[in-house]
Amino acid sequence: MRPFDYYEATSLEEAVSLLGRYDGRASILAGGTDLLVEMKEGLRAPACLVNIKRIPGLDELSYTPGEGLRIGAAVTVRQVERHPAVRQHYAGLAQAACQLGSVQVRNRATVVGNICRASPSADTAPPLIADGALVCLFGADGTRTVPLEEFFTGPGQTVLRAHEIVTELRLPDPIPHTGQVYLKHGRRLAMELATVGVAVSLTLQDEICTRVRIVLGAVAPTPIRASEAEAVLEGRSPDSTLVSMAAVKAQEASRPIDDVRSSAAYRRQMVRVLTLRALEQALTRARQEDSP
Amino acid sequence: MSRGFSTIGVGHPRIDAIEKVTGKARYAADFSLPGMLYGKIKRSPHAHARVLSIDAEKALALEGVKAVLTPWDVPRVLHTGAPAPRLGSLRADQLVLTDVARFVGDGVAAVAATTEEIAEAALDLIEVQYEILPAVFTVEEARRPGAPLIHGTEGNLVMPPIIVQAGDVEAGFAEADLVLEATYHTGRPSHCYMEPNACLCYFDESGTLTIWASTQCAFMVRGILSEVLGLPLHKVRVVVKHMGGGFGAKQDLYQHEFVCALLARRTGRPVKMVYSRKEVFMATKTRHPVSITLKQGVKRDGTITARQALYVSNTGGYASHGPGITAVGTIDMTSLYRCNENWRLEGRSVYTNAPIAGAFRGYGAVQSFFALDVQMDELAEMVGMNPLDFRLKNAVGEGDPSPSGHRLRADALAACLRRGAEEVRWHERWQPPEVKTGRVRWGLGIGTEMHSSGAYPDIKEQSNAILKMNEDGTVQLLTGAADLGTGAHTVLAQIAAEELGMPLANIRVVSGDTDMVPFDIGAYASRTTYVAGSAVQRAAAELRQRLLALAGEKLGCEATTLEIRDGEIRRQGQVLLSVAELVRGEGGRPAVALMAQATYEAKVAYSFAAHFAEVEVDTETGMVRVTKVVAVHEIGKAINPLGVEGQIEGGIQQGIGHSLTEDLVLDPETGAPLNAGFVDYKMPLAPDMPEIRVIILEEAPDPDSPFGAKGVGEDPIMAIGPAIANAVYNATGVRFRELPITPDKLLARLREQGETDTA
Repeated sequence: MRPFDYYEATSLEEAVSLLGRYDGRASILAGGTDLLVEMKEGLRAPACLVNIKRIPGLDELSYTPGEGLRIGAAVTVRQVERHPAVRQHYAGLAQAACQLGSVQVRNRATVVGNICRASPSADTAPPLIADGALVCLFGADGTRTVPLEEFFTGPGQTVLRAHEIVTELRLPDPIPHTGQVYLKHGRRLAMELATVGVAVSLTLQDEICTRVRIVLGAVAPTPIRASEAEAVLEGRSPDSTLVSMAAVKAQEASRPIDDVRSSAAYRRQMVRVLTLRALEQALTRARQEDSP
Repeated sequence: MSRGFSTIGVGHPRIDAIEKVTGKARYAADFSLPGMLYGKIKRSPHAHARVLSIDAEKALALEGVKAVLTPWDVPRVLHTGAPAPRLGSLRADQLVLTDVARFVGDGVAAVAATTEEIAEAALDLIEVQYEILPAVFTVEEARRPGAPLIHGTEGNLVMPPIIVQAGDVEAGFAEADLVLEATYHTGRPSHCYMEPNACLCYFDESGTLTIWASTQCAFMVRGILSEVLGLPLHKVRVVVKHMGGGFGAKQDLYQHEFVCALLARRTGRPVKMVYSRKEVFMATKTRHPVSITLKQGVKRDGTITARQALYVSNTGGYASHGPGITAVGTIDMTSLYRCNENWRLEGRSVYTNAPIAGAFRGYGAVQSFFALDVQMDELAEMVGMNPLDFRLKNAVGEGDPSPSGHRLRADALAACLRRGAEEVRWHERWQPPEVKTGRVRWGLGIGTEMHSSGAYPDIKEQSNAILKMNEDGTVQLLTGAADLGTGAHTVLAQIAAEELGMPLANIRVVSGDTDMVPFDIGAYASRTTYVAGSAVQRAAAELRQRLLALAGEKLGCEATTLEIRDGEIRRQGQVLLSVAELVRGEGGRPAVALMAQATYEAKVAYSFAAHFAEVEVDTETGMVRVTKVVAVHEIGKAINPLGVEGQIEGGIQQGIGHSLTEDLVLDPETGAPLNAGFVDYKMPLAPDMPEIRVIILEEAPDPDSPFGAKGVGEDPIMAIGPAIANAVYNATGVRFRELPITPDKLLARLREQGETDTA
């Protein structure tokens, strides 16, 4: 690891001004579970680390009925995974969180960090997109919000501007009768990077799919929505034929690569299998869920 | 034994457990000295390239850099790297630093600097000019006419082919009703020991080199360093403290041990080197990928009539254990299942520009038994027999030949099969694959193995032990045998305590300092309990005799009427005095100095096992989950049953990895490993582990071993692979003749079979 400067910012303004001072050569440190590994392996050599964990308010994790969920930039994956409201209202996110890395990693890693790293296989991204998450940004020019769906621009690439940091994620309160699921495919049961991840958020009213989100991870340069697959089900009464058709459409939407983790062909097949299973499970959950 | 045992046969926690789990135990990389420098190796990015020149000027100009070594600054002594004195199976083909890189990661230069960071930065400043040479990564490429010759040997063969034959193979095949010939392939797993390779070297004022190392073979390291550095043996001291695994790879020396000593000599300062995980993956060892073309004839009644095989190993850039594993793998195909003693077996080891393959738990036999035991399943089906009954019919037993040339002494393999079959209720639960349906299918499969304790007659096995009595009744046990994490030292202490009649707590094991302990060839080949344990038992027996003679003198009675139990001298059950009272100084007389030494040269004993694996296969994803393993092992006598279970569970974990997920994948263009790290090299973890039921049989104790005990270290990894492959077949009807069984391959094969839907 190369030497670097280290700051513990106590305000967003201070953090942003440090980013400005180092002009692109500073990195934000929250969980550090990706950053420090990459620094040790020589993949990244930032001149400065700005620790944001001491900035008041960034550790906020709260759920307000009618408003939804707020996940601050310093909130760990483990906190999200264990939060009763997340388990109750954001089951897909809870499933993704509890499959990320190991317990040790989740006690350090943050959900916002998982997003900012912009890995195509990030576990929390598909369910967050499926749930309609918004990303709150703070920069020298003030604050702005971006839908998470539009946040990623490529592997490791986001719309985040230089000297701008993510302060929190906001998720709307889910509509009643919504079933959420995240299924992950990997070679083993823990400490695994998804070879395919599929999130589904599906709202069922009187046996009609009123809102369907199918989001695929690890099969394109960014997490992607399978819009044509969603369209197969939206406004219709789901049956096994439609669910199978949607799964095929999802497979067609995927653009995976061949790498050491999996062949592209196998990934495509798994998109179909996992989408089918996720839709079936989401339908079951949507039907089980009583209106509040 | 007429009396009951007090210390052996009972599960004991390891004697070093507390220091290890509290993080206080020190490993090679934990040692430091004042003024110490850090060494790093510059590695070739090319799989095959000649080093034309090296410019170290910029690196040497960097503040903190103290020395740079190139291939032309170090002794140009070709050495074997694999130091075990195996008969005729070594090739001296390695240099300390090479001017011809033969795999991606071969070391061409080295640096020492005041910090690790500076040393790393200096590596980037060393400029190497290469002439890139054509490279080959597979045996097929390496054997092709016109292929680049990696060490100038004809056809890239490491040594002349090994031929093992007996009987009349052609007559055997003529006698058969059915003949099957098929080729089996095994993967390239990495050892993945927790402790990376590391060492610390310094020369003292007398010119003596001390090296703290992580090695299974301290005396071999001493010998080969002495040879290459030109130092007499008494000026090389190798110290090994705790080890975090080796699995065979730490039998060898690596470039860092030589380089570190030379950097210490050049700078006059202590130098430490620790490999990164990436270096461990790319520049230490893997298992040999092997292809085995196996042909067997069988009669309709299930009698195997002949066996013919061609065993070809890919040893990578250097020979290392290529000749050794090829010899063992070839000869071991004479065993396990009878074939009317008609066999013709040939073994070849081939150089390529792949990473070096070396010794790895199961040493060449893992690959052979995978081929044999999968083919046993295939033959059973051909003759319409149940796979269990077919194995029982052909399992080797008493009087059958063994690879060592000795005749086997018991029907232990059949006993393992019968006990396991009873445990899994084989005849009740096993059904052929044709009846399996549904998305998730369950399967049951068998794998078997047998393995010698020690490498006799290939290696003239020898171990020594010294026991030193202290004046308070405690004992120092001096052994050269390393404990690489196996619990071997606990077992040796138990053997000493049992034989002496002393409490286990009174024994302290002193090991791993070649200046202090007697010679030992090393910890490998499932030999430590059997060979080193025998030396300990003999030394302890001698010390006990001396104590009893002394007690007889003191008490004025015949020594033969006395015995020692729980550290007390007794006659007919009556306690007369304690050992501490016997040996302590009295009335100005110093304590009695008692010491006993013993040497043991082992013959051979075989352990046996049968594993019964249960799997669930998801036919939509191709994912295989091992849900239960029943592991039956016949090992003569379990000195420490807790340790035996640990070895078996660990071997199963490792074998599941090698069967399903673990494989070092090379870029077909460059030969560089694509998954040289734990992110993409996937070992199974705790949640992936099946329920394991270990059953220890003690039916065939060995007459020459401590209390009948035989080895168990390597055995479990050999039986689990074919058990899983056969269980996958039983679940799906898909026959895998290669490892690892990956989900994409399994899914593709299911589709070929028309088994799975395509929406």
